Amino acid sequence: MLCERCKIREANIQYTEVINGTRTEHHFCAQCARDLDFGQYSAIFDGEFPFAEFLSALLGGETPAQKQEKYQQIVCPTCGMTYEEFVKNSCFGCADCYGVFDVLIHDNIKQLQGSDCHKGKRPAYQGAAEAAQSGPQDGGEDGAAGETRSVEEQIRALDRKLKDALRKEEYETAAWCRDQIRALKEGAREDG
Amino acid sequence: MVSWYQEPDRDRKNIIFSKVRLARNWNEYVFPSRLSDAEAKEMVGRLCEGLKDIGNQIGQECSLLDLSQAGELELKMLKERRVINSAILKKKAPMSMYLSEKEDVSVVFNGSDHIRIQVLKSGLHVGEAWQKASQLDDFINARFPYAFDEKYGYLTAFPTNVGTGMHAAVVVHLPSLSMGKKFPSMIADMGRFGVAVRGLYGEGRENYGAFYEISNQKTMGLTEQDIVDLVTRVALQLDEQETQVRNMTLKNHRLIREDEIYKSYGLLRYARRIGMKEAMSYLSQLMTGTADELIGFAEPCSVFQLILGIQNANLQNLSKKPLDKGELDAARAEYLRERLPELV
Repeated sequence: MLCERCKIREANIQYTEVINGTRTEHHFCAQCARDLDFGQYSAIFDGEFPFAEFLSALLGGETPAQKQEKYQQIVCPTCGMTYEEFVKNSCFGCADCYGVFDVLIHDNIKQLQGSDCHKGKRPAYQGAAEAAQSGPQDGGEDGAAGETRSVEEQIRALDRKLKDALRKEEYETAAWCRDQIRALKEGAREDG
Repeated sequence: MVSWYQEPDRDRKNIIFSKVRLARNWNEYVFPSRLSDAEAKEMVGRLCEGLKDIGNQIGQECSLLDLSQAGELELKMLKERRVINSAILKKKAPMSMYLSEKEDVSVVFNGSDHIRIQVLKSGLHVGEAWQKASQLDDFINARFPYAFDEKYGYLTAFPTNVGTGMHAAVVVHLPSLSMGKKFPSMIADMGRFGVAVRGLYGEGRENYGAFYEISNQKTMGLTEQDIVDLVTRVALQLDEQETQVRNMTLKNHRLIREDEIYKSYGLLRYARRIGMKEAMSYLSQLMTGTADELIGFAEPCSVFQLILGIQNANLQNLSKKPLDKGELDAARAEYLRERLPELV
């Protein structure tokens, strides 16, 4: 693909912006990227900031550079938190971040907590409360809110199933889940 | 001044108080760091409204405090009395808190997490504090579904709290043990058992008064009862060791110990200006004196209450006007003079 700015050189920088949930993608060459203003990310192209080293140090330096670049573009769709921000503040933006960044943080959490599985108390009323929320509602705004939540719920449930399948190496189930999630997400975007 | 606090048990006299904190998030909103002020305000309002009758559950009168509107001094006083932590003190977003009359039970909305339940109990009662916190947790959960994950447990803003979301702590007084050369390395070794030991007062490496807080480092992979047992076990062990060292000094150096304690009493009783560090170290001495029954007050007096009382924000509040450092030292001396009882 050619750079969308100069249309001469090959584009080797993919820039994704998420503003209020709207995602736009741009493809630039390294030279044009240097001239453009990417806010706080500009430093990456100026060479002031040893970005790759910074991340590789955090991630144990084992992951290939390309993979890291992919990681840094992961954005939580619910709260807009990027993986980079998470690394910087070590603070999650919402409950869904745990699912979105799961693959990336799994080992860190295990290291930090000495375990990756909760053993203690479970919320007693969770089931009832959720059922009440996603149950039939009498129209209006509430109904719409209930609907989106149930889609999110479905995605979350499928996500859990997907991870479970991957763990058990049941790739067919995993692929099915992935397609379902994609379909649901696309459906939600079109509705939106 | 702190009505939940009572004198320590006779048989575990070095254990001051226990604390249990639970971090929870409502699954309808993103975590506090990502909430806009308007969203936070709406959420805090809904939580306050939905838990109006929280006092019935706690079994005490409860007041609702708007922490974002509270003055700096008021917040600092709440921090000195262990009701809120410094993260809440610094935060500027909409925040509210239900606080029981005795100040032993508090529920903060929109701190680092949406809901922060805290229960304080004097003496070594981590298990009871956990039971009470857990009941309150169920009460809130019945109305507000939580962010919970099958694998990760209760989801919290910080990965250091995820799982149980529970932080259990016991504050112990270790004036003799902490003088030992091996004490710093012993504290460091505690990390291997999964507990952290931190000084309660003092800046940097300095510790005023030899109060230490023992708390769990990990929140996942253990049940709440495991955490309760862990901190209780370590607190008992430290209390036991401190008692052993103190008994030894009593046997071998009784006169030196008595001298230190009575001198401390004299200074606290008659000083006209006294700094925080100085006052804390004398009060710490006095505490060992009452615990080991080397000194007796004519009327009941809690040394730990005095320690809470001489903190800067409380003194500022009593004086009704801003005090500089010199004036604070004078106010501190006056506070102690007025409250220290005669000896028997």
